[in-house]
Amino acid sequence: MRLLTHNMLSSNVKGVVNGFPLRLEASTWVEKEVDFNADFLRSVFPKIDWPALFGASQTVGYVALPESADASMLESEDFLKKFHHALLEIHVEEGALVCPETGRRFPINKGIPNMLLNEDEV
Amino acid sequence: MDPLMRCGLSPFIGLYEAPHVPGGYVMLPGMRAQLAGAVQVVRDREELKKGIADLYDESSKMWEGLWGEHMHHGFYDPGLPGSVAHHRRAQLRMIEETLSFAGVTEDSSKWPKRVVDVGCGIGGSSRYLAKKYGAQCQGITLSPVQAQRAQALAVAEGLADKVSFQVADALDQPFPDGHFDLVWSMESGEHMPDKNKFVSELTRVAAPGATIIIVTWCHRDLSQSEDSLKPDEITLLNKICNAYYLPEWCSPSDYVKIAESLSLKDIKTADWSDNVAPFWPAVIQSAFTWKGFISLLRSGWKSIKGALVMPLMIEGYNKKLIKFTIITCRKPE
Repeated sequence: MRLLTHNMLSSNVKGVVNGFPLRLEASTWVEKEVDFNADFLRSVFPKIDWPALFGASQTVGYVALPESADASMLESEDFLKKFHHALLEIHVEEGALVCPETGRRFPINKGIPNMLLNEDEV
Repeated sequence: MDPLMRCGLSPFIGLYEAPHVPGGYVMLPGMRAQLAGAVQVVRDREELKKGIADLYDESSKMWEGLWGEHMHHGFYDPGLPGSVAHHRRAQLRMIEETLSFAGVTEDSSKWPKRVVDVGCGIGGSSRYLAKKYGAQCQGITLSPVQAQRAQALAVAEGLADKVSFQVADALDQPFPDGHFDLVWSMESGEHMPDKNKFVSELTRVAAPGATIIIVTWCHRDLSQSEDSLKPDEITLLNKICNAYYLPEWCSPSDYVKIAESLSLKDIKTADWSDNVAPFWPAVIQSAFTWKGFISLLRSGWKSIKGALVMPLMIEGYNKKLIKFTIITCRKPE
């Protein structure tokens, strides 16, 4: 699971008011090189919840991202490279996504999050 | 001509209705096999979801081995059968005809950037759309085996930076409102037990102006004087539902009404039944190759039951009961 995906997943447990962002627990992750595409990064930036991305990247030990970011930083090659790495090159293989309100854990196995709810959670 | 004769099978195997037998089938010659279990459509939600997940966990590998990465019908010019290679091309054509019908633009500056593939199988459509549009594609499926395989294929094709797969429920998608500019459901709608909720979720995750595409199996529209399908039609559909873990079917008009109730725009629908006619006979023939037979035995009972019911799909199409339907629309700006 890339952090780009983490940035769009939320808890849909019944009764939860704000299920985003899910807290990331990562026991295993890998880094895979991805072609750098500045245009893509600039176009996706407005859709990214930066605090969620920052938090997730900290969890996997990537501390190079600034705590906050604005569009002017997209001019900087250095910033773009860090954004690229955090968003696309870190793959969480094993771990969990945790609902911020209920603590419900959605497991991540072999890189695939399982977001299915049980009958009583719907 | 009965459907088994049409696909050249009835010298070898007879699948006969036997109402006195629980499950309603007797298989001849040479052996009697009784398909266990009463013919029952209404499974509860959890049982249905588990059944769907198990069916695809069990059968996806076999399907991929015989038919490849796309788990949907091919689109053919009426009247033309063909070889297996032809069928694979037809499956790609199905995607292209669907995009064309939906009016997805050819202008690359306006191509969709974020796609959701609802009921993604092993990710064939997701990878195709990611390659075609350079889009980010999210696929969801109930089957963990399918999600893993979809991801593995994405990695193998160098698309792991563009496509992602999750195990998730189409009726409860884990995505924020308005996130996707193309919402894609290719032959998964027939599994959805609540069509209203299904289309509502597709609408919720669609961005303003996004295109929503549903390609699915429906039953024929009812005439003005009808309250329901005829009893023999219902019996036929129930048998299919039992084997494929389908909830109750609806008609194309039902989908149109739901779309209208959600204020969706530019609602279009078409009956592509004539364009998919060669598909089921071809699938049946592939099951009767040595490879197909062994794969079925390896896959398990759910897959075998699904295979045995294939002639009923042909019967349903021939009786103009089953309609292969496309419904497209747009979320208002």
